Amino acid sequence: MTLFVQLLIVGLSGGAIYALIALGYTMVYGIIELINFAHGDIFMIGTFITITILQAFNVTDDPTVNGTLIAAILVAFFASMILCAILGVVIERVAYRPLRNAPRLAPLISAIGVSLILEDIGKLWKGLSPISPPQIFGAGAVFYIGPISIQVVDIVVVVVSILLMVGLQWMVNSTRLGRAMRAVAQDREAAALMGVNVDFIISFTFLVGTGLAGAAGFIYLLKFPVTTFTIGFDLGLIAFTAAVLGGIGNLYGAMLGGLVIGLVQSLVNLIPDSNNPSSHGLGLPHGGGAWATAIIFAILILILVFRPSGLLGQQTPEKV
Amino acid sequence: MSAVTMNTNSTGPVSTTRSLLIKWVIALLVPVLVFNFVWQGDYLINNVILGFINPADALVDTGSLIQASIFILFFYLVVLAFAGYLVAADTGRRSMLEVWVDVLIFAVLPILLIVLVNDNLIIGLALCAILWPIYFYIRRRVPFFARSKALLSPKSVSLLSAEQKAAMVRRARLGGFAFGLSLAITWLVVDLVSYFAGALPTELLIVTAVRTVFLVVAGYFLGWVGGIVAVRLTLSANANSANGGDNSAQSGANGRRKRQLMMLASSRAREEAREVVPNDLPLRSAGARRFFLILLIAFVLFYPVLDPFLFGYGTAGRLAGYTDAGYYVILALGLNIVVGFAGLLDLGYVAFFAIGAYAWGIFGSTQFGRLTNIIIQPEVLSWLFWPMIIVTALIAALWGVILGAPTLRLRGDYLAIVTLGFGEIVPVVFLNLDKYTNGTNGIVGVRSPAFFGIQWTVINHVPYYYLILALIALVIFANVRLRDSRLGRAWIAIREDEIAAASSGVNLVRTKLFAFGTGAFFSGIAGAYFSAKLGNVSPDLFSFNDSVIYLAMVVIGGLGSIPGVIVGALAVYSINLFILNNLDSIASDPTSFLYGIDQFIIHYIPSFTFGNIRNLVFGIILVAIMIFRPEGLIPSARRKRELHQAPEEEAVELGSLDVTTTDPGFEAEVRIE
Amino acid sequence: MVEEQAYVPTNEVLLDLQNVTKHFGGLAAVQDVNLQVRRGEIVSVIGPNGAGKTTVFNLITGIYRVSSGDIVLDGKSILGLTPDQVLRRGIARTFQNIRLFNNMTVLENILVGQHTQLNANILTSLFRTPGVRREEEEARKRATELLSFFGSELVSRQEEYVINLSYADRRRVEIARALAARPKLLLLDEPTAGMNEVETLEAVKYVRRLRDELGLTILLIEHKLAVTMGMSDRIYVLDYGRKIAEGLPEEVRRNEKVIAAYLGKPTASEQKAAGDAPYV
Repeated sequence: MTLFVQLLIVGLSGGAIYALIALGYTMVYGIIELINFAHGDIFMIGTFITITILQAFNVTDDPTVNGTLIAAILVAFFASMILCAILGVVIERVAYRPLRNAPRLAPLISAIGVSLILEDIGKLWKGLSPISPPQIFGAGAVFYIGPISIQVVDIVVVVVSILLMVGLQWMVNSTRLGRAMRAVAQDREAAALMGVNVDFIISFTFLVGTGLAGAAGFIYLLKFPVTTFTIGFDLGLIAFTAAVLGGIGNLYGAMLGGLVIGLVQSLVNLIPDSNNPSSHGLGLPHGGGAWATAIIFAILILILVFRPSGLLGQQTPEKV
Repeated sequence: MSAVTMNTNSTGPVSTTRSLLIKWVIALLVPVLVFNFVWQGDYLINNVILGFINPADALVDTGSLIQASIFILFFYLVVLAFAGYLVAADTGRRSMLEVWVDVLIFAVLPILLIVLVNDNLIIGLALCAILWPIYFYIRRRVPFFARSKALLSPKSVSLLSAEQKAAMVRRARLGGFAFGLSLAITWLVVDLVSYFAGALPTELLIVTAVRTVFLVVAGYFLGWVGGIVAVRLTLSANANSANGGDNSAQSGANGRRKRQLMMLASSRAREEAREVVPNDLPLRSAGARRFFLILLIAFVLFYPVLDPFLFGYGTAGRLAGYTDAGYYVILALGLNIVVGFAGLLDLGYVAFFAIGAYAWGIFGSTQFGRLTNIIIQPEVLSWLFWPMIIVTALIAALWGVILGAPTLRLRGDYLAIVTLGFGEIVPVVFLNLDKYTNGTNGIVGVRSPAFFGIQWTVINHVPYYYLILALIALVIFANVRLRDSRLGRAWIAIREDEIAAASSGVNLVRTKLFAFGTGAFFSGIAGAYFSAKLGNVSPDLFSFNDSVIYLAMVVIGGLGSIPGVIVGALAVYSINLFILNNLDSIASDPTSFLYGIDQFIIHYIPSFTFGNIRNLVFGIILVAIMIFRPEGLIPSARRKRELHQAPEEEAVELGSLDVTTTDPGFEAEVRIE
Repeated sequence: MVEEQAYVPTNEVLLDLQNVTKHFGGLAAVQDVNLQVRRGEIVSVIGPNGAGKTTVFNLITGIYRVSSGDIVLDGKSILGLTPDQVLRRGIARTFQNIRLFNNMTVLENILVGQHTQLNANILTSLFRTPGVRREEEEARKRATELLSFFGSELVSRQEEYVINLSYADRRRVEIARALAARPKLLLLDEPTAGMNEVETLEAVKYVRRLRDELGLTILLIEHKLAVTMGMSDRIYVLDYGRKIAEGLPEEVRRNEKVIAAYLGKPTASEQKAAGDAPYV
């Protein structure tokens, strides 16, 4: 039981990070129907920016809380967000906008190309081996509720993520820009006829989406001790699965999907290892953890088979 | 529009034929001479002959010598016939200079570049691939060259009488003869000079003499052959026309065909006009393409024996590379069916490749015995490879259907994600079911095939080379047959418009499953070949990255276009696995020009190697191609049309508003009560 | 011009829609529609935009699933069949926005239309058996024949890619493609949409010929009232998903509900004008 609750919490915080990344995917898809394969790699760049800044401020493991630390954290957080946002806009202008009217496959391939480019830029920037950020929340930053240990960092991750998501919700639902974004997502031509500057809105969507990825990059490093140029792909794939699971184009869907995937990824570790004699043959060979990716995708496929537009997605029937 | 006719009472006005002869003899002579004397052609021939004369000194064994000499003979026969064809097929309207510049860029330049990079075929071709688009760009801008586009029009298609056709054949014979003569004389001169300079062994003089006579005589007869080829591509005028003039030539089936051509939109008509001779651009005609194809096939078939002569030391390594590239071609052709024909975006194609590889991996090794307690002697296993290729492919096809089934109701992007998911799941399954698949360590000791008692090894790549060629040929054949069949049309219909396809009677489920299954079938073939050749199989050989590469091959090559994806596969393979690695070895050599640049970059970016930026280069190429040439390198005719709606459509369609008042139906139709 | 009608409509019911209803979420696009088409008839379905006419077509051909009710063809229900199965039962259709296969030639489009008439499968196609070769040969000949129904001009352009054709020609190719499946019943969705008067006249003529010469039963959606009045044996009128009138053209023309649906309450002179000058 204890294990279950702890895995639950870990899953929540992992899920929150996935949700942040998934939001970017879903926003972009909602507005131009493009799977931005490069999104995960922008997240990766965010982690690299964070590390660079933290190292520039000479932050060490388990640091003392003082002005420098706070400054480092704030700068890293905002720099990561802002720089990733700008990167997203640049990518949109260069690689996607020219293909706005091309057949569906073209921007997809272009996105794959951008993803490859970013991966190698990461490789060239920080090298081939994984690099470690300074651990701001040391191993001792834990508190207990009864027998259950909760890491402070998990709380922070969840809280900050929720704040960001709430902020996004507010912006999309209550501001003029948000309304314009929703309009363009629903019907680009009609929105243009209503005077919305469609190009600007699309760029803005990228800005926000990739900004969130940058924030996710910072948050990720609070919790996890390592990053490398390939995590963009690994995490990006899972985050995208989350977005599709929840119903692509739907913000709540992305959050829900991220949560579900995070929980699944954490809870599969409960599945025993069938090779281990103590499990009496139950479970999966090498335990649930080894099968996490496969299980996540299997869940996705099942959901898509029975609900082709995801959990919260809406069927848009083709006009015949 | 009057057809350009030659004076039917002779071989043509002497000046016209003469200018044609000059044009084409030089156009063909220069590349052949460059090939022989600047590159290795002469070396090849001389060494083959010397090898016969002094077997002890031969560079290669007698068998290879015989094959090489067959190729040499064949090569010159084809070129002589080609000379005849070109002289016959040309209307003479295009200037000599344009042709010579074209030949220079497309035939001479590659040879020179290959020589420049130390006889490295791939890097030489890669350089060409960079320079040719620049040339195309220039050619489009410079008005001198822009004329050539206008010359291929249905107006230039002429109908020929029997006399005109005979004249063509006569011209062809002259052409072959002239070319053979020029080549023979040039070569004779060079040989004599080198003999008197002491560089030529006396024995070879006999050869020189034989060759001189042979070229001249063969030229005449082969020119004739070329002429016959040309004549078969003409449109005949009505057989009853007495004097073969233009006016009476408009009737009959061919007149109708010509009128048909007139009615097609101009871009389509240009495609068709290219097939017919006489032609303003015979180098681009269907007949010329046949010659090129024959030469290419011969070169590919004889490549293993030619390689030591043409490219020097390192044949085995090169062959290894080509046999690897080969299965990429098969994968590209298989994926072309799913993505190119049927329009189903499959991002997890590597899954079927893995299934095929593991299928043979498990069966063709001791693993099978371990699992089923059926022990098969290793030698027998090697024999069983041949039937097992089919079985493996069928297993893969079955999984193609199974994994394709959940995707059937999904819209395009969702389908992509689900297939991507399968591409991820399958290697994980192979990794974790290690009771069957031996997990991360993979299966070793996978048997390679045996043929007529000879066991193939991992060292000698020549048998694999021919195997992969045979497999590629079969796959191409299957693809072409399918594309032009009822099923192929159904696939393309689904790609174009699913609802219209269903409403026209296409069963969407079955047709899509067939697409997945067939695509998977081919990847199963590639998989069996792959694990047999490699000797082992493990999960880390298969990843999403590979699926991306396969997709890139198809897209870069040209979606749905069979020659396109073949070229795309070779191009991607070269870029991804070859060129950049080679650049690294060049850069590490302190004497090369790359060394300095390399050091400079490393100073600022420590983790830089050329191999490391492979994805960067690849990614840039992908983005660039999507933006500038989304239809791919060699697009299918349909695709080019789709992506570049030609504004130059000249054909005027008679809309019903153009019904004139003299049309007898007019009054009757328009009357309203 | 009154022509001798070569084909007389029978009384035998070919297609029967019984209380067909279709809901999209909360909206009833089609509500309790009853409609019969007798063999040999030309029946039109008319109504203002959004009345549900195309939805009815989509229900018949299986693109949408019926929410309740039944659709019976030749005595057998065709509910739940997929579009290709519906085609095999004998109903072919064209679309309001002409859905041709744009990157194929005219000939190829019609060959796809013959999909259900051909027997080649993957193996016989791979080996190009004599049977397949003969089948393809005949399919091409038949395609040419089908095109020649519209005159020789289209035949001479059969190697042309369809995107290069005029709108009226594309419409004809779409009909030829539908004919390729040897249907009993042809559904034409606004066959004269986007056409000028001359083209419309042509279209009326060939639609009539489809029934008169080829013996097809035709159900069509039409927006141009004058066309419908002149061409149809019977007319159904839909509005807001319901049938508001049915009957012979003269009856429907004067039906107040129909006029109200189209025009609002008319003045006397407007009423008179609406009843005049049909296309013959």
